[in-house]
Amino acid sequence: MSTRTRSVLAVLAIGALTLATACSKGNAGGTTAGGSPGASASPTNLTALFAPPKITIGTADDSKGPAIPPEGVVKGGTVNMIDRDDYPHLDPGRVYDNVTANFHLMISRGLTGYKRVATGEYKVVGDLATDAGTVSDGGKTWTFTLKDGVKWQTGEPITSADVKWTIERLFADFPIEGPPYIQQWLTEEDFKKAYKGPYDGKELSNIETPDDKTVVFKFNEPHADANYAFAMTGYDIVPKAHDTKEKYDKDPVSSGPYIIAKHVLDKSMDLERNPNWDPATDPIRGAYPDKWHLEFGYQSLAVTDRLIADAGDDKKTFSFYTNVAAERTQQVLQDPALKDRILRQPSPYGDYYYFNLDRVKDIKIRQAIAYAWPTKQIQTVNGGPDTSVINTTILNPSVSGWQDYDIFGFKAHPEGDIAKAKALLAQSSNPKPTIVYGYNNTPTQQRETVAIKNQMAKIGVNIVAKPMDTKTWYDQTSKVDNGLDMYWGGWGADWPTAATVFPVIFGPVRDGGYNQSHLNDPAVTAEIKRIMGLSDANEANQAWAALDKKIMETITPLVPALNNLALQLHGSLIGGAENDPISWVISPNTIFLKNS
Amino acid sequence: MLRFLTRRSIGALFTLLIIAVVTFFMFFAVPGDPARLSCGKVCPPESLVLARHNLGLDHPIFVQFVQWLAGIFVGRDYPTLGHCPAPCLGYSFVNKEPVFAAIVDRLPVTISLTIGSAIIFLVFGVGTGVIAGLRQGKPLDKIASVSSLIGASVQIYFIGTLAVYFLVFQWHVVERPRYVPFTENPLEWAYGLLIPWIVLAVIFTANYTRMTRSTMVEQLSEDFVRTARAKGMSNRTVVLRFALRGTLIPIVTIFGIDLATLIGGAIITETTFSLQGIGRLSIAAVVDSDLPMLMATVVLAAAAIVVFNVIVDALYAVIDPRVRLT
Repeated sequence: MSTRTRSVLAVLAIGALTLATACSKGNAGGTTAGGSPGASASPTNLTALFAPPKITIGTADDSKGPAIPPEGVVKGGTVNMIDRDDYPHLDPGRVYDNVTANFHLMISRGLTGYKRVATGEYKVVGDLATDAGTVSDGGKTWTFTLKDGVKWQTGEPITSADVKWTIERLFADFPIEGPPYIQQWLTEEDFKKAYKGPYDGKELSNIETPDDKTVVFKFNEPHADANYAFAMTGYDIVPKAHDTKEKYDKDPVSSGPYIIAKHVLDKSMDLERNPNWDPATDPIRGAYPDKWHLEFGYQSLAVTDRLIADAGDDKKTFSFYTNVAAERTQQVLQDPALKDRILRQPSPYGDYYYFNLDRVKDIKIRQAIAYAWPTKQIQTVNGGPDTSVINTTILNPSVSGWQDYDIFGFKAHPEGDIAKAKALLAQSSNPKPTIVYGYNNTPTQQRETVAIKNQMAKIGVNIVAKPMDTKTWYDQTSKVDNGLDMYWGGWGADWPTAATVFPVIFGPVRDGGYNQSHLNDPAVTAEIKRIMGLSDANEANQAWAALDKKIMETITPLVPALNNLALQLHGSLIGGAENDPISWVISPNTIFLKNS
Repeated sequence: MLRFLTRRSIGALFTLLIIAVVTFFMFFAVPGDPARLSCGKVCPPESLVLARHNLGLDHPIFVQFVQWLAGIFVGRDYPTLGHCPAPCLGYSFVNKEPVFAAIVDRLPVTISLTIGSAIIFLVFGVGTGVIAGLRQGKPLDKIASVSSLIGASVQIYFIGTLAVYFLVFQWHVVERPRYVPFTENPLEWAYGLLIPWIVLAVIFTANYTRMTRSTMVEQLSEDFVRTARAKGMSNRTVVLRFALRGTLIPIVTIFGIDLATLIGGAIITETTFSLQGIGRLSIAAVVDSDLPMLMATVVLAAAAIVVFNVIVDALYAVIDPRVRLT
């Protein structure tokens, strides 16, 4: 996961207020058009409002093409897409952010990917591979077989040598932006030291290619969800024969349904069909339009006004990631004429108010603050229930195996349980504690901080608010000795299991790291290690969910923050538009043009 | 004149060098590591070292500046990006494209925006100001004064957003603003930029009206104007040959500054109308901590100011015979 705004760290600091932080590529799905589902449900009930997506591992049959078409699909035509930014990288090995990954669904393919089976239901299937991979040796060895008929845009077949080359080139000096997982699993954490890439003729011995179709990965440790990792765009395949190293980033060779016909950097891009892409080999991409015209440079308000007006060619226009501008939110939600063109989807990322466990050592104080937390007030200053839903767990509901719980009554008492908090504080080591609270110095965060300060005063907690610069937010809060007791932080899973959540946010405590609560509990560390070693993905998912609840019950290192809702519009002739609950953007896989 | 231009050009180059030095070193004074931003979310130490090397950030700051400066004249080789031919203003940290190419690509949009709006605000601003000055205290003067006060009070993001909302999306009077190259279709070029031109002109016209009016009133009470009238010259000759000439001196001064500012990047205008010009490029460079792009846009804006200042100084001599260039 990284950011659309090309600034991972800044976005991690700003958090779910931006769409930027994102990661794993996903397939289309989620709530359908037609406004907020579950209108009768409580507006703060996340579970009732938006059912979490179901993500399972598919079979070889599931991995066969073509993709399952959305209802009423029509083929042909030119679709327009408008957004703020162009894509920072066209070389898939340099892609880590959700928006760029989403675009890459049109021009590149990997060993595995996410297939939309139905609304909110997905399967990890073989993309170029015949299935989602065969695991052996207790989870250490993964074998993939390539499908027949998968080709580059040049007409040349995609081979196991291309797959091996793709992974090996990620060790070279230029691809530094992509995900590190497979490289680390094959070598060591600081993987660029271990191997310098294939360009000087040296190979990685633990990637084997016994024939043109088969590729075998031998990891140092078991990794039950390697097939999820391979679904990241960063591991999409690059042709060995046409790898131009750094220059590939400007002129990639397509394995997907489209090729780039014209690209004017930061302005526009035109895509045309790849004649060598065979839908029969692809269970993921529908690729219904004949052409795509992408334009960049549009701010949220400009996009919103064009899509509201729905005039001329804008009827065939949508945006991958631009949300409705804040000043138009109420207008869009209240206009019945727009109801059928609205998409809403909660963020798949985890946002938290971390306690610094080095400083707030008494769990009773932490739990008292959690009980009294002004969730409802914070929601109000952030735009109300129309713009966010209340989260109660460490894992985001979109993560496989997520289980709901509400230990501190964030949903039951969104205004805060003052009596319970006071009782706990009375039993604590300091009934009148002072908490240094660091916050991003933005107008919304300022209002949020006032709400927190006022609420905490009611239970006798003195909040010393410390405004911090947005641009250096992460640099400051990620220092071990940051001088703060509590602060906001965000993290998103790189694929929808907890394997890229807990080992990171409760991983090594170091400057610049992501363990922002400084949780260093031997029992938690041992349990994380145990689960990481499990070869059964379902068993691992259940264990992660149990660990989630246990950490909140026994340690309470954080207070879960609100889960922001994306609100997007599309033109009236756009069909199949769904906000992907995994990547939180509109997937191109199901988009089609309705008959006018 | 030649001596004047030579001397001013040398001074201009020196000014630009100082601006470049200050911008470069200020960038490193601001917290934030561009290499960390370009590295992936999970960035092992060796990857960070490579990111610094790839961006040319692994040398001392002074060496980096000399490399940047030398690149403008002789080009530059990057470890992983290849050769950047002269005039090389560097490779963008974000787009990994030569900065000069991006500037060349965006400049026509900004120049088009500037030229069109400048013609409108100059003609209307000076014209209205002259009429108001000549009709001092009359209803026309009062209307012009009130209108210019209102025009000077509104902001581009306010009036621009309203203009697009009503003229384009509600009343469908014109199509949404867009840029079509002049060489491709001059009519489409003008039509696409019509709203930005008018909006920009509304803001600027107000200043020119007020400035022209007050200077015109002042000029009309000067001795040389009274002498001209006493000699029996027609009102038209007095106004156009004498009063207007004197009025133009301050107008040319602010026009030079306005033109240079607009060419340096009309950030709010370009953002309001979704136009991809130099202004958008510079704001993106600031947000993305993209030093090479930032340097290029700052130096371009500074160059525009310096060049137009020289032109304005030269024009003084043309407008006012009392001014001699040495």
